[in-house]
Amino acid sequence: MSREKDMVALMRLLQFTDSTFPVGTFSFSNSLETASFENIVTDAASLEAFTRAQSHQAAYSDGVAAIHTHRAFLKKDYDTCREMDRYLIMFKMNSEARLMIQRMGKKLAELAVRLFDNGMIEQWLGDIKSGETPGTYPVAQGMTFAAAGIGERELFCSHQYGIINMVLSAALRCVKVSHYDTQLILEKLAGEIPALYEEASKMQPGDMNAFYPELDILASLHEKGNMRMFMN
Amino acid sequence: MISQKKEKTIAPEVDFSAAREMARYLKEPEAMYVGAPGKHGYLRLGFELDKEGKSILRDLDRRHPLIVQQELYFDEEMPEMPCVYILSSGGPNVDGDRYRQDITVKKDAYAWVSTGAATKLAEMRYNYSGLVQNIVLEDNAYLEFMPEPVIPCKHTRFISDTRLTVAENATVFYSEIFMGGRKYYNEGELFQYDILSVCSHGERPDGKQLFREKFVIDPAMEHPRNLGVMGRFDVFANVLVMTPKEKADEIYDRTEAFLDRSNMIAAGITRLPNDAGLLYKVLGMEPGPVKKMVRSFCSTVRQVVKGHPVPEEFPWR
Repeated sequence: MSREKDMVALMRLLQFTDSTFPVGTFSFSNSLETASFENIVTDAASLEAFTRAQSHQAAYSDGVAAIHTHRAFLKKDYDTCREMDRYLIMFKMNSEARLMIQRMGKKLAELAVRLFDNGMIEQWLGDIKSGETPGTYPVAQGMTFAAAGIGERELFCSHQYGIINMVLSAALRCVKVSHYDTQLILEKLAGEIPALYEEASKMQPGDMNAFYPELDILASLHEKGNMRMFMN
Repeated sequence: MISQKKEKTIAPEVDFSAAREMARYLKEPEAMYVGAPGKHGYLRLGFELDKEGKSILRDLDRRHPLIVQQELYFDEEMPEMPCVYILSSGGPNVDGDRYRQDITVKKDAYAWVSTGAATKLAEMRYNYSGLVQNIVLEDNAYLEFMPEPVIPCKHTRFISDTRLTVAENATVFYSEIFMGGRKYYNEGELFQYDILSVCSHGERPDGKQLFREKFVIDPAMEHPRNLGVMGRFDVFANVLVMTPKEKADEIYDRTEAFLDRSNMIAAGITRLPNDAGLLYKVLGMEPGPVKKMVRSFCSTVRQVVKGHPVPEEFPWR
């Protein structure tokens, strides 16, 4: 029975992590478009560094919020899930990044209420629609994965995969790299995820931090500019 | 000696015990202990309008090594603006220093606050240097807080926590400039500090939290030279502007985001969460051009909010 449950959870993990899972990840490049235009990301080496920065930035902010939401959801503590949502949006300094996580969060919530018969997710979607809570994607992931019986580590991996794959998929459209390059980068960064989880899983919401001013300025250039192959 | 260590200083407590990132740096310095007189600075500045409607520094309290003497009125574009320099008699911030600065600008008052020189953060071996700031702006108040750059040394450990409590119709311009280190000292000391942890958070007078920005720069964990962090840049400025939404919109429209690779300077602007205002960032190679960008941005803010530009910087600054 336990093995069956594990297999179902694994299938759900693959489903939620797949790039075709309809939450709109393909619309965003996390400023890669601008980094490419400004000749900051020009080849596989600079793409790897850029993707690593995005991965680390997400680990110590979105990753922390997702983990705490997952833990709270398992305890049926809806207030803490809402608090994580409020806290994360307060921490997201970049307005396009806020737009991205809110659009994806709402889409995931709308899917999750259809996939699982769960009162907390229904309540959360209702609160998003009424403007009571911002509805961020990492919080949606924390709730959905907990409802699906997927563990915290797997949640963290899926979240990281989503960020890394979002950048690398966009790279195939705006940087001179091959599929071989992007797969090698993905494989390399995968080896760094356990150390990121080790740190993020010990952090409290107040420990969330990010220092990526070069990424912030690229995001601002995109926000104020005319390039619109991607939304972000 | 032991009984002396138990003596309480009058300055309010500066407590960073909850900061996870500083847990490695809690050893008592072998020289003067943490919080010893002279190592626990306190400053309380209160600006308000007097009976004639002039903005003045009404309230001033300080503990060494922090010094503020009196307000001056030297701003040629706003001669009615009280200007204050914060000085430190102790030289650089040293191991185990704790500082607290409380600045209040009351209803309709306005002020400009800076430091007399760059804040140097010395090499530390046992503990860290900590700073707590509470900046409060009442209705329609206006504050420009534009200190000189912070210069960390090799093995500096520094943490700060700044709370900006700002009424919905008030405006605060809060800037910080961080050098990568003593760039021209010996072989160069860029990014050789142990840790810089900087947290700034904004809220309304009723306690509603609006945003919380925290950056922890730990070169051993994530080197600032990495792409996306500082990249090839050496100096970083961070500016928070809390102002009403219609003013933020105008400032945003007037402010350019750019990346000038030939002169190695870049700037970006975005909107803070919960319509709190704006966040402006500058990256550069030397403090001069970065300071100029921050000052120019302040001038835009002042023109939109007060209808006056910021004058040219003094040639000796």
